[in-house]
Amino acid sequence: MTASLIVAQGLTRRYGAVTALDALTVTVQPGITGLVGANGAGKSTFVKILLGLVDPSEGHAEVMGNDVRTEREAICALVGYMPEHDCLPPEMSATEFVTFMARLSGLPASAARERAAEVLRHVGLFEERYRPMGGYSTGMAQRVKLAQALVHDPRLLILDEPTNGLDPAGRDDMLALISRTGREFGISVLVSSHLLGELERICDGIVMIESGRLIRADFIGALTSETATLVIEVDGDHDAFAAALVARGLLVRPERQRVLVELPEGEVAAAQVYDVVRDLAVALDAGLLRLERRRGHLEALFT
Amino acid sequence: MSDQAVDASVIHDLGYRRYDGARDGAAGARRALFWQGFRAMFGIGRPAKAKAIPVFVVVVSMLPALATLAAAGASGGQIPVLYGQIIEPQIVLFILFMAAQGPELLSRDQQHRVLPLMFTRDVTRLQYAVTRLLSVWCAMLCVAFAPLLLLWIGEIGIAKDPATAFTTVAPKFAPVLLLGTVLAWLIGGVGAALASFSSRRAYATAAVIGSFLVAAAVGSGLRDIAGLPYFTSALIDPMDGVRTLARLLFNEKTRAMDTETPPSLLILVAVQALWGSLGAAGLIWRVRRVNV
Repeated sequence: MTASLIVAQGLTRRYGAVTALDALTVTVQPGITGLVGANGAGKSTFVKILLGLVDPSEGHAEVMGNDVRTEREAICALVGYMPEHDCLPPEMSATEFVTFMARLSGLPASAARERAAEVLRHVGLFEERYRPMGGYSTGMAQRVKLAQALVHDPRLLILDEPTNGLDPAGRDDMLALISRTGREFGISVLVSSHLLGELERICDGIVMIESGRLIRADFIGALTSETATLVIEVDGDHDAFAAALVARGLLVRPERQRVLVELPEGEVAAAQVYDVVRDLAVALDAGLLRLERRRGHLEALFT
Repeated sequence: MSDQAVDASVIHDLGYRRYDGARDGAAGARRALFWQGFRAMFGIGRPAKAKAIPVFVVVVSMLPALATLAAAGASGGQIPVLYGQIIEPQIVLFILFMAAQGPELLSRDQQHRVLPLMFTRDVTRLQYAVTRLLSVWCAMLCVAFAPLLLLWIGEIGIAKDPATAFTTVAPKFAPVLLLGTVLAWLIGGVGAALASFSSRRAYATAAVIGSFLVAAAVGSGLRDIAGLPYFTSALIDPMDGVRTLARLLFNEKTRAMDTETPPSLLILVAVQALWGSLGAAGLIWRVRRVNV
């Protein structure tokens, strides 16, 4: 599949004087993609435009080659949506609710019941699924919300803040579930969050927006590639080690419990620095605990 | 409560399977939505609390019909079966039914924010509005028809000679059909529209009952205080309109009808149909622009 999953061009949405999305142009490839931004950055507006719930003021967008304005029906069959807010009627059981949602996606009654049982099992809801959802914990409610998004076997899952309100263990479970669903069943995922750390763990690509504008869209590897900073940790006196490195003419930045060295441009010059560090460790009789290039962090892109 | 059940290692072993079976598309979705709505109108598939008012209304609205039939039967047909007189007080019950159950469909979907899930499936906003209206109308038809049909069947059944009774009673079937339809169209349309304007059930219920009460107050107020003709209120107040319509249909004249000429059948039906249609249009307008 080489076609782009989502294409947005000059997508703008205004609510009165407020511009929620400002000429957003972005292309999302199949796989798991994180949509990152602070609260109010326009994530939910973008998602709602893709789903056809909100009309764009300007620009146009396509989901798997279908225009969001004119080909809504095709998109509805291809996409599963897990909203950010609560959407579970408290007096219904999870089985009833997910079955009903499957039928609203056009599945025949018996197939809908079967699918509902299957996806609820897939998200890890067992005996609880027969109880009214009003009594569910946040973790269980989030699982049901994911199940209803999966029940009609979509090709693309759009998850709006799926880890909202979950405790750390629940968060890990949910991320593992999303990652597994995305990787093993060939379903592409667009997952929004304001927490970069968790997206870093499961996503192939990241789309970052701020105040309705695109900041960056790239594969995660490109965003967290190696930087020109060498991280050194030694078993011994860091200050003495740093001072000795300075004496050998290197750009050194001491940090707590480690030493950072700026590498010069070029492969050969950089390799020479490694040699200098090694020789110095031998000379000072210090054990080298760590010697590696520092990797970029997604957080750094926000500053 | 079930920490071992949500263990990540257990979850996935059962697996996810693709679905490539049949899909009924929008027609299947509409069918499912219709039946869910129709059942919800009677509290079926809901907790016992939700069944209280439908059961109360259906039972209580049939009791006067049963009592009249019993009296007519015991007196050997001496006591006439007056459809209009019996159905008059039931109109309030029908409104109560709509006020209690309409919001079950139209407010709850907003309150629990299920609408975005529906609109991202095979249900468009227009289809949602129309399907919900159909559920409401069908349920209202059942409720409004029940006592009228009971009277009609009963009147034939209690006669000493049902065959001859049939020939005299049978022509009443058309008025029964017309009155039931007008009641359902009017109360269903207006009630559904008002219910859709609030995501809070209590407000929606109050709005339905309140607007019928206000119309009644305005109708009789204009007649009594402004000194307008007696039947003005039948055109303004839907409840009075339906009451007058029922009397005319079954030819049971009130004293007022002897002194003043009531509006013609056609006008009365047209006015109620207009109210119901305005309600339907209002519902569609509201659903098209509700924020999800």
